[in-house]
Amino acid sequence: MARPRSFDEAVVVDAAARCFTEVGYAATSVDDLVGATGLHRGSLYGAFGSKRGLFLAALARCAEPTGERALDLLLVAALELAPHDEEVRTAVERSCAALGGDASSSLGRRLLERARVRSDVPDSHHPRTRRS
Amino acid sequence: MARILVTDSTLEVRLTGLDGLWALRRGLTVPLSAVRGATADPGAAAEPKGVRAPGLHLPGVAAVGTFHRDGDKTLYAVRSGRRTVVVQLDPGPETSGFARAVVEVADPRATVDAVNRALTRR
Repeated sequence: MARPRSFDEAVVVDAAARCFTEVGYAATSVDDLVGATGLHRGSLYGAFGSKRGLFLAALARCAEPTGERALDLLLVAALELAPHDEEVRTAVERSCAALGGDASSSLGRRLLERARVRSDVPDSHHPRTRRS
Repeated sequence: MARILVTDSTLEVRLTGLDGLWALRRGLTVPLSAVRGATADPGAAAEPKGVRAPGLHLPGVAAVGTFHRDGDKTLYAVRSGRRTVVVQLDPGPETSGFARAVVEVADPRATVDAVNRALTRR
């Protein structure tokens, strides 16, 4: 028999989301998640089933994305899992719908901001591209 | 080592080579409805495994067989652990009481994808 849960799921999922957004989904090991959440490996598997299950739980909390962390998680989901994972794709679509017609520009802006790429460079800095 | 075979309705963990002998079982077949997910997790092979019954345990070298820890029954088949996959189950009669399988497979990424894809479809 598994023991009853003795942890705050929201706190655990937030800690996991921080790992996923900082290093990406594939690069986050279960060792990282065990370290970040403070849960035993067995409890983590018992509660979420898999690393993917924990990611889905984090993504579910971004159904109405607000803030950088939520947008970052959406970017990770869209880039790493959605192309071959229907359930993640559906969740990303739902979050995008919540962002409204502005979804692609919100995500694109956040992507460049996160990369510390300046997206507000005036055209005059690129005379050649402008002429082409 | 092990192979994980997924059909429309079942998941089979098949122990290969001598592992079936050490474990005193060929493997474990469970309905997909009792599978919670799969994860590539090399670190899982280094966890304390608990009490073995029956199985082979040479700490740091190999763990093969049925182990009990914190009330969880786990099927282990790991050596170096580098290619370990963890399959989490809903323990019950359908899983012979097993809560998870921690086994090494030839291609962890493909195995994990196959299991999770089958779960999405069910």
